[in-house]
Amino acid sequence: MIKLYDFELSVNCYKQRLLMSILGVEFESVLVDFFPGSEHKGEEFKKVNPLGHIPVIDDGGFVLRDAHAILIYLAAKYDPTGNWYRTSDPELIGETAQWLLFAEGTTNTASAARLHDSLGYPFDIDECRSGAHKLFRVLEEHLWFREQEGLDWICSGDHPTIADIAIFPDVMLSEEGGVSSQPYPAIRRWTDRVKRIPGFVVMPGIFPAATA
Amino acid sequence: MSVTVLSGTKSGWHPIASSSDLVDRHVYQGQLFGYEFAVWRSDDGFVNIWENRCLHRGVRLSVGTNDGAELVCQYHGWRYANRTGGVTYIPAHPADANTHSSCARSYVAVERYGLIWTTLDSETSLADLEVLDVLDDGQAFPLRPIDLWVTSETTISHLERIEIGCPTLADSTKHSDLVLFVQPVDERRCVVRGVLSERPDDEAKIDVLRFYSAELGAVRDGIEKSAGVQAAPEPAAFKVHPAVEVSIGLSSATNRQAAVPVRVRRRWNTATDVVGFELEAVSGQLSTVKPGSHIDLHLPNALVRQYSVVNAPGELDAYTIGVKLDPTSTGGSSTLHGEVVVGDELLVSQPRNGFPLRRDAVHTLLIAGGIGLTPILAMAQALDHQGLPYELHHFVRSQNHIAFADRLEALGTNVTHHLALDPDETVTQLQRLISSYTDAKHLYVCGPAPMLTAARATASANEWPDHAVHFEYFANPTQQDQSSEFEIALARSAVTLPVRPGESILEVLKNAGISMASSCEQGVCGTCGVDLIEGEPDHQDVYLNDTEKRTGKRLMTCVSRAKSSRLVLDL
Repeated sequence: MIKLYDFELSVNCYKQRLLMSILGVEFESVLVDFFPGSEHKGEEFKKVNPLGHIPVIDDGGFVLRDAHAILIYLAAKYDPTGNWYRTSDPELIGETAQWLLFAEGTTNTASAARLHDSLGYPFDIDECRSGAHKLFRVLEEHLWFREQEGLDWICSGDHPTIADIAIFPDVMLSEEGGVSSQPYPAIRRWTDRVKRIPGFVVMPGIFPAATA
Repeated sequence: MSVTVLSGTKSGWHPIASSSDLVDRHVYQGQLFGYEFAVWRSDDGFVNIWENRCLHRGVRLSVGTNDGAELVCQYHGWRYANRTGGVTYIPAHPADANTHSSCARSYVAVERYGLIWTTLDSETSLADLEVLDVLDDGQAFPLRPIDLWVTSETTISHLERIEIGCPTLADSTKHSDLVLFVQPVDERRCVVRGVLSERPDDEAKIDVLRFYSAELGAVRDGIEKSAGVQAAPEPAAFKVHPAVEVSIGLSSATNRQAAVPVRVRRRWNTATDVVGFELEAVSGQLSTVKPGSHIDLHLPNALVRQYSVVNAPGELDAYTIGVKLDPTSTGGSSTLHGEVVVGDELLVSQPRNGFPLRRDAVHTLLIAGGIGLTPILAMAQALDHQGLPYELHHFVRSQNHIAFADRLEALGTNVTHHLALDPDETVTQLQRLISSYTDAKHLYVCGPAPMLTAARATASANEWPDHAVHFEYFANPTQQDQSSEFEIALARSAVTLPVRPGESILEVLKNAGISMASSCEQGVCGTCGVDLIEGEPDHQDVYLNDTEKRTGKRLMTCVSRAKSSRLVLDL
């Protein structure tokens, strides 16, 4: 069984739990005392990941780190439909990669602001928040026009991809870092759609939507 | 092409969303002059604009869920009704239906030009929502709203000096005028909502939207730059209205006289001898109704009768009741059947609930006999809507006697009709249905007295505790004895009053000027109940269950009396 080095409040760990739940992949959480113990920075954990961060997965001895890399691996390996990461279509591979890099941005701004506010990380909070708003404005316009074209998801096509999974929790929990999602109604509607994907699971601060 | 820039005053009308923002089962978060809103469209199309905080712990209602009929707070599950904002259920108080009758603060909503409009001042008239010559409601085409980190004043002054281009790509909007509504969000932010006076052709639609999104986006960047905005401003602290105690329903001032004018919107034969009536408010909004509630209906012949409200959750555009013609009618059902027609105006009381529904049962068994279906159907619809486990057994004379068949059909296989059973067969069937009791099961029964008596006896024999057996009679079948003479002492008022033979406690209280709520006045509905501090009661009602009667802590003042010479009441 896949081992996920996991911390409940981590958005990047949640992204893995969410995708595995949607894909019906069984896994075992190895809980890492990220806060307050900083176990991921300790000598023991550096044997798992010398960069000292989570999540990391161990799939039968194959060890992989970095949240968005793990999403690519899980979708490529465990999604028989190929919908979550469509390797057959070069444009879609490019689009997915583009939005995964965008997700690095939302993680490093919106989710960093959350780490600052809730766990006391020493980040430049104004920079985090402004950066998040700049990205959210871009995402808002993108999703607003997607809706106009009758499309629900971040990448082209009529099926969600790992890009939706990668950006979703950064947006959902941005309020915890002082980044209001109120100016972004199209983003808020998209989060409702993500919550209605069969297999959706919650984490603290992320609740289910009403059934549509 | 002309460009018009408009913004209302603090008490005026403002757009706070696009109509297209309010998609199915979504809660939109809006803000105006610092006041935050939770905005949601119900399945019946009604747009609710409420203050964005739960009455309970102040959590934003915009993180709650829109289940199509009610908005459910994410924190402790308080349920708020479509149209009224009335609290319909508090999970932490599953048995309590009446004491909480609070409402979320709501704002008026108007849809025009593809936008949702509201005003902070409830006195502002609809006529003040300026009708623009350039915009025609049917043709108006809303653009993508643009949010700015700049005040509305600064934004307006810039917009008035700016040239906005015209798309060359769409012939159909070449002559279109552009109106820019500036919505003040808070002290630091605003939203510009553009509306074109002409709708582009379908194939040009996206291009036109993209053109103006880019154009207005560039204008936004220019305004933010010249205003020196470096970073997103912190949202200004949101404003809240001071809390107001809103009390409707069972307040001490509520009595039979307090009434709401309603008009018969629809009248139809829903079954043999049963007429359905839909009663809409003559003006304003009807009050929230909870499953199991009844209203007093004031008839043209001055009689007052009680009818259970059939409404499903969120259905508050009219009260629906079912009236069975009673062959021995003394003027209630015969008047409604014979005289009351569509367009007639009647008076109703606020809804009261003496038959509240718990929603924490592991299984709910609903049993209705004949027209006793009405409160039971309201309960079934509420449970069904929430996806809670229940079954409804309806004992009825024939297929043609099934009232509200469309509503029942919508409940699917949860409903079983037991047709044309004789009294013995009914008892046998009840014994089969009300078999063993397991923890957290609840039984609700409404129907003719013999059926209720049999159902209660069966439940009791199968060791159902009284607290799990809920019932409502049509009428009080017990022989009334008003011969006793005693006195009542009102503990809080320090008054002692004599009750003579033939007088009820309720009459004595009312005659002494004490404001008492009452409804059926025959010991059925529970409205006039009071707490008993001392004395031995002589219960003659059919509202309290046997345990409640035995413990003697509550008394229905309309019919019950004293076995002792004195009762001390908590009044």
